[in-house]
Amino acid sequence: MKKVHGILLFSLGLAASTAAALAADEAPAAKAATASAAKTWWSYEPVQAPAAPAVKNRQWLRTPIDAFVLARLEEQKLKPSRDADRATYIRRATLDTLGYIPRPEEVQDFVNDRSPDAYEKLVDRLLSSPHYGERQARRWLDYARYADSTGFQNDQTRPNIWRYRDYVINAFNSDKPYDQFVREQIAGDELYNGSNKDALAATGFLANYPDNYNSRDLIQRKYQITTDMVDTVGEVMLGQTIGCARCHNHKFDKISQQEYFQLQAFFANTSELNDIPAGLGPQELVYQAQQAKYQEATKEIRAQQKEILDSVRDKGLQYHKERYLTDSREAIFKPKEQWTALDRWVNHRLDNVTTDADIAAYLKLSAEEKDSPELYVAENVEKWAKFKKLSEDLKQYEDLKPEGGSDKITAVGELGHADAPPTFVLFGGSHERPLDQVQPGFPAAIARGEQPVIAPPLTALGNAYSSGRRIALANWIASASNPLTARVYVNRVWNDYFGRGIVRTVSDFGRAGEKPSNPELLDYLASDFVSHGWSVKHLHRQILLSSVYRQASDYRPELQKADPENKLLAVFPRKRLDAEQIRDSLLVAAGQLNETIGGPSVFAPLPDAIKAGNLWKVSKDQSQWNRRSLYIFTRRSVAYPMLQTFDMASPQQAHLKRDVTTTPLQALTLYNNELVFQWSQQLAGRIIREAGRDESRQLDRLYEVLFARKPDAQEKATLLSFLGEHESFIKNKVVDGKLALAEPIGVKDAKGLDPIRASAFVDLVHTVANSNDFSYRF
Amino acid sequence: MSKHTTRRELLIKGGLGLGGLALNGLIPGGLNAAYASELANGSADPLAPKPPHFAAKAKSVIWLHQDGAPSTLDLYDYKPQLEKLAGQEVPASFLKGIKTSTQGGVGKLYASKRSWKQYGESGAWFSDLLPNLAQHADKLTFIKSSVTVGATHDISILKLNTGDLNPGRPTLGAWTAYALGSGNRDLPPYVVLYSGKKEPSGGSVNWSSGFLPAVYQGVAFRSGPSPILYLQPPELVALAQQRDNLDLLKRLNQHRAARYPQDTELQARLNSYELAYRMQAAAPESVDLSKESDATKALYGLDEEATRDYGTNLLRARRLVERGVRFVQVVTGAVDIDGEDQNWDAHKNLERNHAVHARAVDKPIAGLLADLKSRGLLDSTLVVWTSEFSRTPYGQSGNGRDHNPWGYTQWIAGGGAKAGFTFGETDEIGLKSQGVTVDTYDLHATVLALLGLDHLKVTFLNNGRSERPTVVYGEVIKDLIA
Repeated sequence: MKKVHGILLFSLGLAASTAAALAADEAPAAKAATASAAKTWWSYEPVQAPAAPAVKNRQWLRTPIDAFVLARLEEQKLKPSRDADRATYIRRATLDTLGYIPRPEEVQDFVNDRSPDAYEKLVDRLLSSPHYGERQARRWLDYARYADSTGFQNDQTRPNIWRYRDYVINAFNSDKPYDQFVREQIAGDELYNGSNKDALAATGFLANYPDNYNSRDLIQRKYQITTDMVDTVGEVMLGQTIGCARCHNHKFDKISQQEYFQLQAFFANTSELNDIPAGLGPQELVYQAQQAKYQEATKEIRAQQKEILDSVRDKGLQYHKERYLTDSREAIFKPKEQWTALDRWVNHRLDNVTTDADIAAYLKLSAEEKDSPELYVAENVEKWAKFKKLSEDLKQYEDLKPEGGSDKITAVGELGHADAPPTFVLFGGSHERPLDQVQPGFPAAIARGEQPVIAPPLTALGNAYSSGRRIALANWIASASNPLTARVYVNRVWNDYFGRGIVRTVSDFGRAGEKPSNPELLDYLASDFVSHGWSVKHLHRQILLSSVYRQASDYRPELQKADPENKLLAVFPRKRLDAEQIRDSLLVAAGQLNETIGGPSVFAPLPDAIKAGNLWKVSKDQSQWNRRSLYIFTRRSVAYPMLQTFDMASPQQAHLKRDVTTTPLQALTLYNNELVFQWSQQLAGRIIREAGRDESRQLDRLYEVLFARKPDAQEKATLLSFLGEHESFIKNKVVDGKLALAEPIGVKDAKGLDPIRASAFVDLVHTVANSNDFSYRF
Repeated sequence: MSKHTTRRELLIKGGLGLGGLALNGLIPGGLNAAYASELANGSADPLAPKPPHFAAKAKSVIWLHQDGAPSTLDLYDYKPQLEKLAGQEVPASFLKGIKTSTQGGVGKLYASKRSWKQYGESGAWFSDLLPNLAQHADKLTFIKSSVTVGATHDISILKLNTGDLNPGRPTLGAWTAYALGSGNRDLPPYVVLYSGKKEPSGGSVNWSSGFLPAVYQGVAFRSGPSPILYLQPPELVALAQQRDNLDLLKRLNQHRAARYPQDTELQARLNSYELAYRMQAAAPESVDLSKESDATKALYGLDEEATRDYGTNLLRARRLVERGVRFVQVVTGAVDIDGEDQNWDAHKNLERNHAVHARAVDKPIAGLLADLKSRGLLDSTLVVWTSEFSRTPYGQSGNGRDHNPWGYTQWIAGGGAKAGFTFGETDEIGLKSQGVTVDTYDLHATVLALLGLDHLKVTFLNNGRSERPTVVYGEVIKDLIA
């Protein structure tokens, strides 16, 4: 409630989530932090390279990590857990690195490998699999709020953005040094003379922001976009909640409001570019060929449509431009020769979002609104009628259009000038209340006085094509001396493996966050990461081969008291599989996974009840439906329900840690979903195919596929007796005559297979796949 | 510091997963020792009913979002001056301080062909578009000085539901489910109902749990007998057969769980299948209208084509709050008007548009209020009639109106609201609110207050920030509370 005559404190033009003035007051560490504000904060101190601590049980050490963990355990007089058995280990490691369960043959090979470097060979195999990049990319795409569409009301498809996803997959697979990975995502357009197409696609990290193309307030939109970029970079790469400083000086961290807007200034000139030609590979050639077919078939119709639109284009464009609000219109209607850098941004944006559909919309109104003298144009009635007819004709050719794909790259870039729009400190974070102008700069507390050196990059001809601002920022973030970058990233990877970071608040290395539970370990990992050329695979390898990671997850009563939250890692923490791991593993088990890597995103069918219309045109090629989950089209307004229910990342903001919730809707999703049931039928068919008719062997095989182990005696007895008793339920059903039998799918020779028993077996398989052992990794 | 750290450690559960939920937040009402220790040892149930901060007036909310922005100038906000000045330019003094579009011409004030009457003891004005609702004038609390931000629907709808112009925050319904837990474990605590051929504008971000755990997100109830996705067993699995399967599942899970005796998360997953089994029966029953009398159905307009869709949703809404659902969000759908799917967004031809939409909702809403009243549910159910913004007094395209976030009317009813009362006003032509204005955050704070919650104390720690439903704004409008 505010009084209109009083001072308008917050004219809210923006993402309020980042305007945490009052909310921040309530964060628990507030008072203590303020009191010690004069001291520097641990995460702003340079990374040290600590020596491994001395430990008693030296036999336990496999990688340096182990010493850091064991030293803490020994301090508390705790023993680490025994090694997990090999089958458990390979299931765990395969899920963690590749994102799905291992094949039984892989388990067998590893279990039987008696060579001294069996673990090393396994880890090398996993890290060199092209599916490693897919799994790691999914983690990063969470941070990048990756989606294939813009979100908001119209939720337009971003037809090229999948190239960013593929860039990320390739970066992990080729073990691109993390510093380079960071630099390219922030400033790929300013690096390499702007000519490296991969690096251009990398800036999709910035271009991925949620956007409403129909916004009428482009000044506000620019501010929202810039805010999204700077807050995302701050949270993801620096582990800093810098957005808190947008409305006021940061309550806990030494980031002033002025320093926040100095960070915004790095992005002041950043525009979305959607028309960069992609390199021509098979995908592009197929796309172009199909596009050419469509163009050719519809040439005549489109030419006629264009002629009609051209005849009203000027008035239509004028009408369209008038929909923008006062300050946007100032830029839009200004003659080009008078454009400032800000006007260039606004007009580029206008171009990006204006299409012939806007002219057609005007034509329609001018033909239909008889009661509106300002709008109605009698001669347009006939034109509209003709245009409408042509549009109908055009629809017949819809099937000729490429189903997806593109031959362009989406990136961010500047518009060919060295100057940038001014950035101001904004009172209360409101873009309508500018205060002092600021220049790009780093937060002093973190950068320790280092300030950016900004030099506009030049083309081969010596012309400045960009301001060079983001390159300066990228170089600072991706520098070995930045105290945050390496720490934040190694902590994320640790969090993925052990379910909690060394700094538990993975996105807040500031004062409101928690301190590292083992600072020496964190610094060891960070310094080792940098000294190994920022190699992400090296980091994974160290963890995977450590004794810490190799521990069993067995229950140990004495630890419940000594370390109930398992901070010290005396036992391996079991974890619920995440949404993609569940779906992908079910597909692997059913033998149905389409392992194709990369390319345009696909539309697997939605449940009939979801009426997504044109936002979700199911892929015609059914083999695409069984692609890995990260290839399912991420429509910001229509989440794929099977994944969403299992806490998949929300693509609206950087999603830095997955929740684990346990709900009845998840149970319904796995138990009643016809698709999952069909996968169980296929799995049942596979088991019979591979294990033959002996039921005991079938059960062994089923457990090997799903859990990488055999059932114990009690489980086997339970399952066999279930089969017998369950037959009567199936028989009753058949007697009713209401339901058909669910049979195993894909049994080569069904002769001699008792249909009742086989149907009971399908239920058994489906039930076992629903059990806790499947949805967890231990 | 140590005290604070301890508090966080108690309240935040780590990823080790000793419990049912990796909950990163605080519990409403501050530190409840029993609940905190449950969270610490992981046995907390995220949907367990939780006490409000103070005595609640309302147990449930029915949130009637009129999608597309009806012109409240043509429904409730009677402006004789507008009728007088119709056809003239908007006097410049009225436009001060606002940014407008000029599309379709700004300037000419436009009056629709309404006739107006006062109703009830409160003497509230209603236009002839809402003859049925007008009969309930004395049940309503009008907020005639509403304001919001935004020139396009999407961002303002987001703000209406989440308090933010960008996606990512939890909606009011999600906060409610988080703060109060479930009132009926066989049903989701937060349900979304909508009609029409398409998903509502902006889609599921408008019932998202944002940074709260997914367990608090709205569950969209679909039309037809099976409202929740995957509610029925697979076609080839009979119910008795499924029960037998579930018994096997329980045996298998229990056998393995014995290896992890302290692991309540595994226990919770085992229980979730039993909850799901019960939901299979409870959810269809909750929307099964066959046991409703013909008189009740007629009350909601189920006997007429024009009102059937919306009436069905409102009757479902009543059944849901009756069964303990905390928050029911009902979104109006598009209606075919002269061959074009339209919501309330009448940039042109407002007469026709609003006649159709008002007809679709008038009788059902009146029916809902009457029905809640007669069942004694109105006292414990807060009904909120709201929209992302409203429409301008100046015309657009000759016979429509543009978007107006500066001044418009919303109303609340039941659930402890001050009945037969009008709060605030707009200027003489109905363009801007004047005096004390009510923003989205204030409405949210007030709704939470009626639910017994202090909006400043409903907090959740997200990425180092203590977040609350009203972002950094919001004030309870005490005048609206009885």
